[in-house]
Amino acid sequence: MRTSQVKSPERRFDFIDVTLRDAHQCLWSTRMTTAMMTPILGAIDRVGYTYINILGGAVFDVCVRYLHENPWERVGLLCDRLATPCDGLTRGQSLYTFELFPDDIVALNSEALARRGVAVLTVYDALNDNRNIESSVRSGHAAGMKVNAMMTYTLSPVHTDAYYVARAEELARLGVDFISIKDPTGLLIPERGRTLFPAVVRTAGTIPVQLHSHCQSGLAPEVYSVAMRNGFQAGYTATEPLGNGASLPATEDIVARARRLGLASSLDDGALAEVAGYFSWVCERENKPRGEIAAYDPALYEHQIPGGMISNLRYQLETMGIADRQPEILEEAARVRCDLGYPIVASPFAQYIVTQATLNVVQGERFKTIPDEIRKYACGYYGRLAAQPCAEFLERANIRPDEYVTEAPAAHIEPWIPRLRAELGSAATDEDVLLAAFYDRKLVAALRNPVPGCSFRTTPLHELIGFLGTRSDIEYTHIRFAGTEMTISA
Amino acid sequence: MNMAPGVGPVGGAACVRDRIGPVAKDALTYEDLLKIVELVKSTPQFSEFRLKVGEIELHLRRKRESASAAAPESSEVPSAVPAADQGTRPEAHEGEREHAWPEHWSVVRSPMVGTFYRAPAPGERPFVEVGQVVEAETTVCIIEVMKLMNSISAAARGVVREILVADAHAVQYGQPLIVIEPQ
Repeated sequence: MRTSQVKSPERRFDFIDVTLRDAHQCLWSTRMTTAMMTPILGAIDRVGYTYINILGGAVFDVCVRYLHENPWERVGLLCDRLATPCDGLTRGQSLYTFELFPDDIVALNSEALARRGVAVLTVYDALNDNRNIESSVRSGHAAGMKVNAMMTYTLSPVHTDAYYVARAEELARLGVDFISIKDPTGLLIPERGRTLFPAVVRTAGTIPVQLHSHCQSGLAPEVYSVAMRNGFQAGYTATEPLGNGASLPATEDIVARARRLGLASSLDDGALAEVAGYFSWVCERENKPRGEIAAYDPALYEHQIPGGMISNLRYQLETMGIADRQPEILEEAARVRCDLGYPIVASPFAQYIVTQATLNVVQGERFKTIPDEIRKYACGYYGRLAAQPCAEFLERANIRPDEYVTEAPAAHIEPWIPRLRAELGSAATDEDVLLAAFYDRKLVAALRNPVPGCSFRTTPLHELIGFLGTRSDIEYTHIRFAGTEMTISA
Repeated sequence: MNMAPGVGPVGGAACVRDRIGPVAKDALTYEDLLKIVELVKSTPQFSEFRLKVGEIELHLRRKRESASAAAPESSEVPSAVPAADQGTRPEAHEGEREHAWPEHWSVVRSPMVGTFYRAPAPGERPFVEVGQVVEAETTVCIIEVMKLMNSISAAARGVVREILVADAHAVQYGQPLIVIEPQ
């Protein structure tokens, strides 16, 4: 054990809230509506977060496809109501989807976010090919936002500390304002953190380094402690009822750890408790799960497939009548990942790996059928591969030399804005143009403006009355509380 | 909620202990709320509900007919319809008419359960039509499997004699899709 670092009084660890984004993405399939958020924004603001993450690819997509909320309206409303700076995350050149967009669409998106009040643009590429985030960094800065670049952590023989140091060097050269290590499946363990974290912090120099790790293995809180000891300046966390499990660590837990390490944390415990109380209640009211602390599961490190993806796979296999072959498919998935050059098991590559593994098992022959997307991945169409695919795969894929893509993935995508503007007419706003770039017109037409059903304050008593009011079995209610009396009767 | 009255939050946090746990003296907390809701939900068989704890008094009366119906509407019953796996049985194959064409003709089959597409994108021209000559590597259709697109090649040089499945229809593993007369 090395001697602890010199503690200057201003050494601190800051917090970035993910309650309104990744927490419900992981635990509630991204189904938190704006109306569930607005009553508690005042308390969230008082907690003292350094940033609040309000937007990500899945949030944008679920708003449009399932909640029929205009995502720009949500972003605007949250930015207006929160004095704490807001953070919006995109998938780099793919923004909120898994397609590649031209640079003009990426730049227009940065402008639209900044205009709605987003202060920090967080960006990552699923292959860690930083050419795919250049246009976001450039346009984010031009729009006046700070840019936080994420490197995605995974386990493989090629994703070494040196690999991440090389990626961090690229990010430093790009001039990003923050560097984050993103661990979408909770694969980081304290031992790895002790070598990886100091190496990345050293490389980042004056750029603050942040940790964003999920709790599937149960080890994330301890990994956050390792990050604090090794000079990380902030961590992403969620309110206690929406922390842990597939989500990120609970803020309350990590604050306690920061204080034990003597890192000043100025978070307001009263406000934290109010937010936690509110979301505990919303879990009950909306019949949604709370985050449960996960038990350590060594199998996670074999196939690396996130829990949400496994339940999805089971459902797909059931509908195909081959649910009994799941163990075989997961085993094959580990081999496929290796054969494909260790893509990170996160969207969209998790789906590629699992689908190829299913094809291999069902057909009883490896790589007999190769999905077109996987061929494109192998050609470098989405970006650089971490390692060369195996010979067996390459032989089956039969890729011609002229099919390989070596320039940046978006280099040859023509601008879209002129065409979209021509189609939509002069009355279309930038936000309309972007929605038209991402979605078909029917989906966009179904969006409701403004966001429905938002109130901006609530109390437990209000919620109690609301709850009783929704019960069709109750015909008479009388409440007396703190000098107030009310009676409701049918 | 249109009947929410004009009661606001009251400050302070002094707690009194009671049988159902801590209830704040002058401010109802979310913890209290959760406990009260749990009590209301766990007593559907009673028509009368009275609770007095700390500063709060609650009196509820349930409709007679619903007092015995023990399923409150909030307990969402998941529609656990075990997908009666429509047509996953091999004999259910639409277009399974092996003997309808000569033995030496070549049949393109689906590699997986999925969706059959005749064209590269909606509104575009189909990959092949009946009567068309194809090479072994010509793409004749796409099968979408678990959201990924699989281009399927003819695997034999010849003439397309039959297209057995309509565009955008579900197909089973091994189901015949297209029949080719080798040349």
